[in-house]
Amino acid sequence: MVTPVIELSRIEKEYPGVKPLDRVDFAVRPGEIHALLGENGAGKSTLIRVMGGAIRPNGGSMTYLGKPVSWQSPKQARAAGIHVIHQELALFSELSVAENILVDAQPRNALGLISGRARHARAAEILAQLGVKISTHAKIDELPLADQQMVEIAKALVGEVRLLVLDEPTAVISGREVDLLFDNMRRLKREGVGIVYVSHRLEEIFEIADRVTILKDGQVAGTGPVGDLTRDEMITKMVGRRLEQIYPARRKAPAGGPDILKISNLRAGHRVRDVSFAIRPGEVVGIAGMVGSGRTEVAEVIFGTRDLDGGTIEFDGTRLDRRMPREAIRNGVGFLTENRKDEGLFLGLPISANVMAPDLAGVTRRGLIDRRGEREIALEQIRNFAVAAPSPEVKVGNLSGGNQQKVLFGRWSRIARKLLILDEPTRGVDIGAKVEIYRIVRNLAEQGVGILMISSELPEIIGLSDRIFVMSQGHVAGEIDGASATEEAIMDLAVRSLDRRESTAARLEQVA
Amino acid sequence: MSAVVAEFRRNRLSLSYVIVVALLILLVAAGGFLSDRFLTWRNFGNLFQQLVVLGMVSLGQTFVVLLGGIDLAVGSLVGASTVFIAHFLEWRPDLLWLALPLALIAATAIGALNGLLTIVLRVHPLIVTLGMSSIIFGATLMYDKEPGGSVPRGLADFSYANLWGIPVTAIVLVAIFALAGLWLQRSRSGRSIYFVGGDREAARLNGLPVNRIVVMAYALSGLCAGLAAIFLTARTGVGDPRIGTALTLQSITPVVVGGTILAGGRGGVLGTLLGVLLVTMLNNLLNFLNVSSYYQWVIQGLIIIVAVSIHTTRRRQ
Repeated sequence: MVTPVIELSRIEKEYPGVKPLDRVDFAVRPGEIHALLGENGAGKSTLIRVMGGAIRPNGGSMTYLGKPVSWQSPKQARAAGIHVIHQELALFSELSVAENILVDAQPRNALGLISGRARHARAAEILAQLGVKISTHAKIDELPLADQQMVEIAKALVGEVRLLVLDEPTAVISGREVDLLFDNMRRLKREGVGIVYVSHRLEEIFEIADRVTILKDGQVAGTGPVGDLTRDEMITKMVGRRLEQIYPARRKAPAGGPDILKISNLRAGHRVRDVSFAIRPGEVVGIAGMVGSGRTEVAEVIFGTRDLDGGTIEFDGTRLDRRMPREAIRNGVGFLTENRKDEGLFLGLPISANVMAPDLAGVTRRGLIDRRGEREIALEQIRNFAVAAPSPEVKVGNLSGGNQQKVLFGRWSRIARKLLILDEPTRGVDIGAKVEIYRIVRNLAEQGVGILMISSELPEIIGLSDRIFVMSQGHVAGEIDGASATEEAIMDLAVRSLDRRESTAARLEQVA
Repeated sequence: MSAVVAEFRRNRLSLSYVIVVALLILLVAAGGFLSDRFLTWRNFGNLFQQLVVLGMVSLGQTFVVLLGGIDLAVGSLVGASTVFIAHFLEWRPDLLWLALPLALIAATAIGALNGLLTIVLRVHPLIVTLGMSSIIFGATLMYDKEPGGSVPRGLADFSYANLWGIPVTAIVLVAIFALAGLWLQRSRSGRSIYFVGGDREAARLNGLPVNRIVVMAYALSGLCAGLAAIFLTARTGVGDPRIGTALTLQSITPVVVGGTILAGGRGGVLGTLLGVLLVTMLNNLLNFLNVSSYYQWVIQGLIIIVAVSIHTTRRRQ
């Protein structure tokens, strides 16, 4: 039996009223990728923090490389070779890649001053190890998110790393970037590094992990080699009950009626080059594609938060001239943005104000906001979307991610009589809440609302959409029928046209 | 008034106001204990008279701070407005009906210009209003370096008038605060200030006319500065370009002490009113106790830091 890199036994953490960790046993062997699964609030982040020294447990014991330890600080854990990469990257966006990689270990010259040349050399060496091509002089905020993540991993490789913890690294990247990440994880694994991998995407667990531990309400609900558990068993353990059906039934007949939204030859910036499609009432249209393929930008153009360079947008047969969110809202269009915290919700304000924000006119009587009316609408939406909140006065910032998302559905479902645009509607949301969101989306469609759903999660796109458009490099690369779509078919479209374009460009260069 | 009560009831749990009210009670008790002239009807009359100008300017500042901005031009604007009013009235005392609305319109327009500049130039409001403050101050000094002008009898009388022993100006002030509270809580444009202050991007996505709301908040701050100048000119009888110099920073104290956060989106006018009461009463008491004004500055500084840190700690929990 190999000595585990880290072994936690009967770890407990208790705060007044809550017990995020209850007698948790967890071990990671060298050269093992160990997936950590659980719904939001199951205790994953607390467990990660205990390993990384950010939280001191109330009970239980921990051994690291065979010796009992009790971290006093994250710094101590880091020095011992534990590196935690959180979902929110800890990078200095104004500084260069090299400065970020060597943030704790700036090389000095003979005079004791920081040596810029040595820094870039060392940083380049580490990036080469990872097999990524990123300029060490680039500023972090000039890089795409996937590269930023690589910089974060590069930071881990500066010193000796024995345990690498990745908290939902694939939430913000897709396709090839995920492949690159996985390649690097496998390489580190071969070198004997233990890796803890947190993700909500079960497909990835089967692809990359060796063992899996499932947490439920602070306790271990199951642990073992990945092959021993089926996908459904994992979900059942996570949720604590059997989920009969993850995706609701699709439309039986193709949607009829006049187009609710029709866009033709849309151009905007360099991300949206030529996009045309239409949506009919009551259908769910999925948009798949890589991050950066122009998916989000198309949605922004439709809603009016991004400028249009060319092409036309028609709602219900009429062309919109004044392009701003207010006009879209007036025309019955709602938009759940990708980043609900930065772009959608007012975290410091109560649920009622958040629900009513785009429709204050709807509760204004004789010039004054009708508080009772507002409260009633909010209560109704809380019930309709099963938001776990005691009252409409609760501040949205105090709700969980899934419940925040439901508040947004509560808001936009009132507005979106015609069209609801969803950009990554289930990001960072646990499986139980996901299933509820899928049901909500389908219900809205059945009431005749057209749904435009952007998502990086292919199973979700396939499971929910009536039709799927695959985007690539600012174009619609193809359309697939939802019922017969496969992940391979989608990826093929997303990547194939990309390769073709690249090879065309390469050929043109050769000719020139 | 009912709106203010409603606001209080809704914020009851936040305890922010409770802290300020507790401080006020403590102050009144200490005042009564330390000085036999403090807890008199007459002193309270004086006190209310004193807080009118600060109250008005702080009210305007509240709108801007709720929006996540700051208005450093209010002091200069008050000074300039007093100069305008006093000189206009010296020239034509019979045109009081024209002078006051003109002053208010001009002050509102300058406020609106501040808001517009933050949007058009995309420069931080601190810089825009700091620059504007300097421009207004300089321009006023070009016109008149010393206090001057005069006001007709009627306006002066107004500032000393009492109704049931309470200064009329204080009644007007409270009425304006009540109206402002009602507007903020119950009107679409007032509520929108919280939306824009809470998260400007989100406000835009919700289809709110963000730019219009920003301009409106700064315009209101200008209007409040104009009203403060009317109160001030009525009482002092002259226009003084330098009279507002200290007001700018003083106007921020009651706002933050009252629980409105500088980041915007949270707070309200009741807190500001309580803050004004606290600051003014404190200075009044210290005067009675013959504490030098140097100490008054020090104590006021301590109050700001302590009160705001209490609000912040509470919020973090």
